[in-house]
Order: sequence, then structure tokens, then C-alpha cells
Amino acid sequence: MNSRPAVPAGLLALVVAALLAAPSTALGQARPADSSTAAAEKTSPAPRTAWGDPDLQGTYTIKTITPLQRPAQFADKAFLTPEEVAEFEKAAASAIGADSREGAGTDADVSRAYNEFWWDRGTQVAGLRTSLIVDPPNGRLPPLTPEAIERNRFETTRWAFRSAGAAQGRGTDSWLDRSLFERCITRAMPGSMLPTAYNNTYRIVQTPGYVAIQIEMFPHVRLIPVAERRELGDNVRLWLGDSRGHWEGDTLVVETDHFTDKASYQGSAENMRIVERFTRVNDEAIDYQLTVEDPTTFTAPWTAAVPMTRTDEDLYEYACHEGNYGLEGILSAARSAERE
Amino acid sequence: MRTFMLTTAACLLAGGLAVSAHHSFSAEFDANQPVRLQGTVTKVEWINPHTWIHIDVKDDDGKVVAWMIEGGTPNTLLRNGITKNSLPAGTEIVVDGYRAKDGRNRANGRDLTYPDGTKLFLGSSLEGAQGGER
Repeated sequence: MNSRPAVPAGLLALVVAALLAAPSTALGQARPADSSTAAAEKTSPAPRTAWGDPDLQGTYTIKTITPLQRPAQFADKAFLTPEEVAEFEKAAASAIGADSREGAGTDADVSRAYNEFWWDRGTQVAGLRTSLIVDPPNGRLPPLTPEAIERNRFETTRWAFRSAGAAQGRGTDSWLDRSLFERCITRAMPGSMLPTAYNNTYRIVQTPGYVAIQIEMFPHVRLIPVAERRELGDNVRLWLGDSRGHWEGDTLVVETDHFTDKASYQGSAENMRIVERFTRVNDEAIDYQLTVEDPTTFTAPWTAAVPMTRTDEDLYEYACHEGNYGLEGILSAARSAERE
Repeated sequence: MRTFMLTTAACLLAGGLAVSAHHSFSAEFDANQPVRLQGTVTKVEWINPHTWIHIDVKDDDGKVVAWMIEGGTPNTLLRNGITKNSLPAGTEIVVDGYRAKDGRNRANGRDLTYPDGTKLFLGSSLEGAQGGER
């Protein structure tokens, strides 16, 4: 009935490789091999499409319990040992999560929304890492510029939100005051390529000249040309930016800019530039890394490694707009409160 | 070390919940109006972003009142072998949730169970109440 693989073969291979290859050093902590380092073992030459491009095609999941930023408790510890990974995964599996009713009768309990069985956050650590961010070395986002801090005082910046209504202290006058996520529009970038609470499935399809990445959360398809390099006019701005790809050996390199100012990530919007690298590691995994730079927002570029693991599951449509009664309920609640 | 891992894991999961909650549930539902409903499923809207389960609830006077209960994405359920046949009309369920702030007969399905206490979709004393086909 349930065809979810217990441990993706690629992850198991990485753990085994780490156990065999990890050198111990005089400095103490062994640094295991990881899919996001160049030292990843390839099991065979990279497969090719019929027209000779490296073949990245398939359906993948990026769900993981590894957070984007390293928790404070782990400080400078970038990697866990395989034993620690197993312990962490076991602890995560037994944690109550959304089924907790602690604080019943408070907004905190309301905000947990619904039972754990509705969520699909994943059960596994990404490689052996304590954070998806691999640079800066502390595994955390670099500090924001003073300009960005000031800019963010008036805008909600979690995932991709920019709301004039929120800036003026109104949050429920209209759907326009709600986040792009609540309005079923987009998580924008880089949010659309980062793990989240569910819909962590991606499908890559290639044709001569294009790589298409279908994203489960919202009906997004990133259509990335690899055959030519042309740039849009500076006034053309897009929710997911404008992507241009090229091959470097077996790696797809994608450069994206021309982001709209209607969405932001930590305050980064129209000045954001993202460089992504997709490299097939073996039949089961793609090593995916993204580097975000915006000198007007981040004091340094930052890079995250998000392992993509092949899944036998399908990618399901997320026709969010069609069923969004909740948005209407939020506005209705505000109108009701005003009448009292 | 085990306690450390358990605490960290729990913190990560708990911290991740509010960030990832699709809507602002506390803007839609009232923490001061908890409800506990037992009713019969009349229909299920397997839609995104949230499944809505319609139930008929008998009030104290025996009058039947229709409620709408908000759940999560059906996509996750599909991944676990649940289908649109898994919650047929006529199934008795218990809803522990919070009523909509606008006073309508809507609630979020904060905790959904069968009358015997088992979680919805994960097990039931009701024969055939849970489908298993993919």
C-alpha cells in the first residue's frame, strides 16, 4: 500500500561511503564524504540524452529534516557522524510534532493547524549535514546589510511576501494584503527550490535546447534554455526570475536574475542573482547547489546544498487557487470583528 | 547526546510548523472557541490547499447541523496510500478543533479521530472505513 522507500539508495550509499572513507584527523572531528562535495563517487559515466546532453531527467524529492540554517546547538559542527544522524532521525521520528496539543486554547495550538499525517516534512537528514547552507561555513545566512534591515522593517519577508497593506499596518483589508504564499501565487526564489512542509517533489524534463523543472508547490515550471544566451530587457521582471543555463562538463549551470520587486527573500528582490549547479551523482541522486547573491541585501553570497533524491512517487497537481476557502475565511473573520 | 538530539529534533519540527503553515490559521480560527464535534461525513472536498470534510452533527435537540472542517493537502495523503474513497459518506468522525472567527459552522480539524480514538486515515475500528488502493 505504501510505496515510500525506507531509505533512498543514494542516501544509504552516501552513508556507507562516509563510513569507509572518513579520515580521522589530528584535529578531531572526521569529515565524511558528502554528495555536495566534489569528492562524491560516481558509480558510472553520466548518462546522456538521445541528443547528447547530460541526462538529469526524473522525479525527485528534496524533503529533509535538515534545516536551511544550522541550529545554534550545532554551532560550528557542519557534519554529523552516521551514528548521530541515525539518532537524530530516530528522535525526529518519535517527536510529536503537529499532534502536540501543548497550549491548547491558545493561538500557538491553533497555528499547528492539523494532525501530523497531513504534513510531509521528511524523515531524513540531508547527507550528513546539520544545515543546507554550506557557505558561510557557520551554516547560517550571512548578516543583512543595514539597508536591508531598514527595508525589512516595513515588509514581511518570510519566504516571498511583499504587501503594501502590511506596510501600512493593514493585514486583512483585502486579499492583496495577504502573502503570495497564502494567495496561492508563488514561493518565488529561492524559496521554490528549498524544502518545505509538503509538496517537495520536482520533475526534470529535457528537450534539445531546454531543461524544464516542474515544481510541485504551485503550478510552476521553470523553463531554462541551454542552447542560447539572450538577456531580457531590464524592465522585464518575473516571479521566478529569468534563467539561462549552460553545461559545464556534466553539470548544468543556471544563472537567474530579472526578479520582480513584488516578492522578496529576506528582503532580497529585484537585485537578487542566483547561480545553481545540478550534477547527477548516480541513478538515484542529483547534487543540487544554489548560490544567492545580492550585495544590497546580504553582506556576502551564500550557498545551500539541497540533495535531490529520485522518488517512485508521482508529482501531484497543487491547484491551490481552486480550493482556497481559507483566504476567504481570513478576510471574513476580519469583517466580522469589525462589525462587533 | 540522545536528549540533545531529541530536544533539537523536537525544536526543529515545532519551529518549522509555524513557518510552514500555509495560511495564518490564527487569523481564520478562534483560540477562544474550541469545539468538539462528533458527526457523520456527508462529503469530502479533496482540494488544495486544504481538504474540507463536511459533516452532519446532531445538536442537543437532535437537530442536524452541517459543519465544514479544514484539513491539510490531499497530496500528502495520496503519498500514504489514501484515496478519495478512504473517507466515505456515512463515516463517523470526531473533530477537536477551533471554530471560525466569523462564527460560521467551520472549524479547523486540529485533531481528527474515529470514535474509538484512533487517528483519522491511520487506523480504524470501522471495517472498510479506510481505503488502501493507490
